[in-house]
Amino acid sequence: MSPRYRRYVAISFLPALCVAVLSAFPFASFAEDGSNATYDLPAIKSAGILRVAITHFDIPPFHQRRPDGNFIGKDIEFTKELGDALKVKIALVDSSPTFDAVVQTVAKGHADIGISKLSQTYDRLAYVRFSEPYVTLRHALLYNRRVISGLSNGGSPDIALRQFAGKIGVIGESAYVDFATADYPKATVVPFRTWEATIDALKTGQVDVVYRDEFEVRSVLTHDPAMHVLFGAAIMADRRSFLAAAICDTCVKLEEFINYFIAQHPRAYSLDELLTISYLN
Amino acid sequence: MAKPAIIMKRLAFWLNQPVTVLGAAGVALALGASGWPAVQSLRPIGDLYVSLLQMVVLPFLLATIPLAMRSALAGATNATLIRSLLVWIGAAIVTVAAVGALVPLIAFHFLPFDQATIEAMGSIVGGSSGQADLEFSLDNNALTLLGAAGQTGVLSLVPSNIFSALSADDTMRVLVFAAIFGTAMTICERRSGRSFFGALQSLHDTCLLIFQWLNLLAPIGIIALIAPQMEVLGPRVYIVLAHFSYIFFGLSAVILILAITILAAVLRQDVPLTFARFSRPLMIAAATRNTLACIPISVETMTEELHASQETTELYIPVSFATLRFGTMLHFVVATLFVGALLRHSFSVSEVLTAAVLSVIASFATLGISGAAALAPLSGVLRPLGLPYELAFPLLVIIDPLVHMVRIMLNVTVNCMIAALAGGTQDRELAQSAELQAAE
Repeated sequence: MSPRYRRYVAISFLPALCVAVLSAFPFASFAEDGSNATYDLPAIKSAGILRVAITHFDIPPFHQRRPDGNFIGKDIEFTKELGDALKVKIALVDSSPTFDAVVQTVAKGHADIGISKLSQTYDRLAYVRFSEPYVTLRHALLYNRRVISGLSNGGSPDIALRQFAGKIGVIGESAYVDFATADYPKATVVPFRTWEATIDALKTGQVDVVYRDEFEVRSVLTHDPAMHVLFGAAIMADRRSFLAAAICDTCVKLEEFINYFIAQHPRAYSLDELLTISYLN
Repeated sequence: MAKPAIIMKRLAFWLNQPVTVLGAAGVALALGASGWPAVQSLRPIGDLYVSLLQMVVLPFLLATIPLAMRSALAGATNATLIRSLLVWIGAAIVTVAAVGALVPLIAFHFLPFDQATIEAMGSIVGGSSGQADLEFSLDNNALTLLGAAGQTGVLSLVPSNIFSALSADDTMRVLVFAAIFGTAMTICERRSGRSFFGALQSLHDTCLLIFQWLNLLAPIGIIALIAPQMEVLGPRVYIVLAHFSYIFFGLSAVILILAITILAAVLRQDVPLTFARFSRPLMIAAATRNTLACIPISVETMTEELHASQETTELYIPVSFATLRFGTMLHFVVATLFVGALLRHSFSVSEVLTAAVLSVIASFATLGISGAAALAPLSGVLRPLGLPYELAFPLLVIIDPLVHMVRIMLNVTVNCMIAALAGGTQDRELAQSAELQAAE
């Protein structure tokens, strides 16, 4: 084999080598004990660490970074209790700039689970597993009263909200992009970087409706009651977000464990309780 | 033996004095404003008083309406009277709707809402936890208006079963039956010469006597009914809804004063004396918040004290009290312009006209309903103008106990004014009757 040919072979194998090295990280424990089993609960227990992905931004009262750098919130309590049940330590991976990025962090093996007020969606199920829901929230709209009343042609606003074909604001790379696209095929779904930016867009008239869950919509109105004069809030009784933990795609036993844990520790958060926590913090 | 009777007579005299009635209203307002929780324990007394009044309303209507129909059908002036009533009703509706539309339009232009008021109103709309306005299903037409009362309209006022209408205290249907029954009985009397109008007259007088007895309890009833309502409202409500309150209560006061002054002028009565005498029906209106419960005392005040035409009063007042709601017309048109101002909506001339016309129509849709449910027809005014009823309802409902009192006072006063304008005094009635007899 000529040196030139050997160099070609080496260059050809280099990407494959890189992929093998990168993907070996989550499966390191298996490589060490020589097992053929896929990455799952035994590997996590043997590593003694459960890597939990959360968003980089706060989602009070689900998770929030305190000034001292520690995290608090319902999701944090959940992971700590889960860690105790698993008898492992928790390592938070808080680098994800979006909700979808949390799912991708888990999908790529940089975390074992993701738990950031994540909703199940058809798209996300292609990459990760989801636990049983630990909270269920109804979908909700915050809308410009004048625009929607004008579109209702003298009827009640639900007529215009049901057939809305204008601009709907959502948080970009969140489950609500999927929900809005599916529920409002005639509308233009406008993604914004954050929830605050989405609300600002509603206030400035860039969009006439914003779409999220009942908790977030009511939370906005609780913090800024003046908004409720110009903007109305509507709950969609037949649309729900199932908040669940995203689990690595190979982690069948971990999923079983988490589901059993959820069943043992029912988290029937009332909406009013969540709202109270939200504004106390 | 005579001593207790004299004492009772003097007591009755003082209890019926306008100053006593107004004093009771003053005590009620003071008690309500004090915020003393024990004020709520007065509610059963107030409810008892309303029940006693309502107990006699249906028998009174069953006696009065057929008698009034007979009187109207017997009189040769009835066509003129009905024409005159229709003209004055039309004039009153146009005046109330026009004043109710124009004054708020100008006032809200010069009284913009500050941020603190808007914030406080937002808190009222959503409560402390940002409650949603409505729930709906995307896949079907189910809708729930959270906190709002359901829609009701003018639905079949003809009673299919009069006994069922009587037992259900369905005054509107009883009224329709009484009018038809009175007309038929008058025709039968002409044909056969037989009727029991004599018995009905006796029933009418008996009911009036019971009302006179109940009038002695009016000061207690007024305190027991008004004070708990005022205590529930609290002062914050008036501050938050100041814009609406100033305009609605201010306009109502002007209309009440004008109507009583016109009434006094038409009936050739001393104006202060008319105000004093009219205070009793007004206070009963405010206390009971029930226009129909005010029929007997209004008829009595108009005919016995202010000497208005008996025929016109007895025919017009029961029917108009049950159907013409001037207070609601004014309330709806002011509320529409208030919601528009809150949303920074600029009304065009045609929109103002539409608001006024729809408010008049919507006032008829409140027939047979009371309380917060009577706000539901307001949606028929707001929504065609592209204004949200879901915003108006939570704001208006909290102040409604007080607005309701004023609405009933307006219904009573404006309708009494129309009766006076159309029928005139008893002297005129007697003169017309004498002319008729002379002609015959």
